[in-house]
Amino acid sequence: MDSLPRILIIDDEEVVRDSCTQILTGMPVDLTTAPNGESGLRMVREQIPDLVFVDLKMPGLSGFEVINAIRAFDPAIVTVVITGFSTVDSAVEAMQNGAYDFLPKPFTPDEFRVITQRGLEKRRLLLETAALRRERDMLQQHFAAIVSHELKAPLGSVQQNLYALAQDLQTVASPEQKARLERMVASIDSLLKMIHGWLRAYSTDFGQLRESFTTVSIPAVIAQAAETARPHAQRKAVEIQTLVEGGLPAVRGDETTLVEAVVNLLGNAVKFSRLGEPVRVEAAYREGAVTISVIDTGVGIPPEELPSVIRGLATSKAGLEAERGSGLGLGITRRIIEAHQGTISVKSDLGKGSTFTLRLPPADTPADGQASTDAPGAPIPQEGGLA
Amino acid sequence: MSPQKKLLMIDDDPDFVEGVKSILVGAGYSVDAIYNPKDGLKALQTGKYDLLLLDIMMGRGAEGVMVARKIRNDPKLRETPVLIITGIREQIAFLFPGGPVHPHFVAVDELVEKPVEPKLLLERVSALLQAAEARRADVK
Repeated sequence: MDSLPRILIIDDEEVVRDSCTQILTGMPVDLTTAPNGESGLRMVREQIPDLVFVDLKMPGLSGFEVINAIRAFDPAIVTVVITGFSTVDSAVEAMQNGAYDFLPKPFTPDEFRVITQRGLEKRRLLLETAALRRERDMLQQHFAAIVSHELKAPLGSVQQNLYALAQDLQTVASPEQKARLERMVASIDSLLKMIHGWLRAYSTDFGQLRESFTTVSIPAVIAQAAETARPHAQRKAVEIQTLVEGGLPAVRGDETTLVEAVVNLLGNAVKFSRLGEPVRVEAAYREGAVTISVIDTGVGIPPEELPSVIRGLATSKAGLEAERGSGLGLGITRRIIEAHQGTISVKSDLGKGSTFTLRLPPADTPADGQASTDAPGAPIPQEGGLA
Repeated sequence: MSPQKKLLMIDDDPDFVEGVKSILVGAGYSVDAIYNPKDGLKALQTGKYDLLLLDIMMGRGAEGVMVARKIRNDPKLRETPVLIITGIREQIAFLFPGGPVHPHFVAVDELVEKPVEPKLLLERVSALLQAAEARRADVK
């Protein structure tokens, strides 16, 4: 509200409109009036007022309908209902419908001024809250981007030095030592890829991501994801089993981020699995969508935490003490899937495990090499372990 | 064997420099390292280097890009081959929206991503040096 606060009065009685105008004359406000709901709503859309007084009983659109329409248009616009003395009940009902306050007729100039001040104050608070919320969301995003950047450079340096070390030791290292170096290089490589993916997920305008969509084979995505998640799973003796339905349609998408999405789910599944329990990845065609389910029989998520887990804002407290997860992974997964016009859902039984399911629309045109057993370069068994 | 080639590396991450330098020294090159763009440019102008390894994402933003521009505009340095070593390609796309993946900062350059595998690093360095030598031979 940098300029004068805008107030709109919607009332079919001319005397009410006139007296309100008189009362507010001299106050630093920009006042307009409308004689009915229809013209009032038009003005709301044109002027975006800060505060709207609405008479409940008008011919044509009722005050209730006007309030609902304003609320649907912009919930931050404050509405106050004007009501006859005998209809206080409907004023209460209006407030339950989102009106901020009510003004019973007849009212004194002072009553009107006080309610106006209070309404404008409420509007200021609403705007401030919205601004703070935007700021928090931005911080949350930037935080991830900053963290990723800060991790990327030192990890890259470590990798570069490992390369150099491997080179230096080429002639003197034993096969076991060389294998150890290779494993370190591979681990850091997957970390770098993950950070790369995060930065991409956060800095990419998803509309732009769509421009580079290609036809992606789901078996290939699952094979790559399982491959990436395998080292972590092996450390916990968790076997990753894949079951891909034959003749699965391809999807339109970005392969790297889709793999990342499945890797995130697999990483969580392994993280929350007990030692030696298998994690299953199942891909199928169900109800017009390609589904990828990641199923674990681990610790599960308490029902009250499910909504925030799926939003990617929280990590389940049920997580084993040593396994602090980052809610970031799920949030990014959700954003990746949403960029693909897909959905993500979760079912979980506390103590029994969780199932995360991605649903993606199939590509219009069939992909090459769709048989699930001969995904290019990475054949995956119909059933059984990769780990 | 031709005389030892002198390379200059400008990068503000000493750890990363170590990792690259060790590979290059192991392959028989002499490598000097400078850790900020300003001194790096000075060293390039005074010393006689056969090739520059340049990080374009130094300091705040991309100070290395400034070095690359100065090299391009300097008649004495213009012919020095430059191997740009940078973070992820996305950053380039961010700096030069809509441009090609490799914007060619200087007339003769190549671009690789950090971290760079030894084989790729040595291939690129050797290719850039050979191309520079061939250009000199043409002039004669």
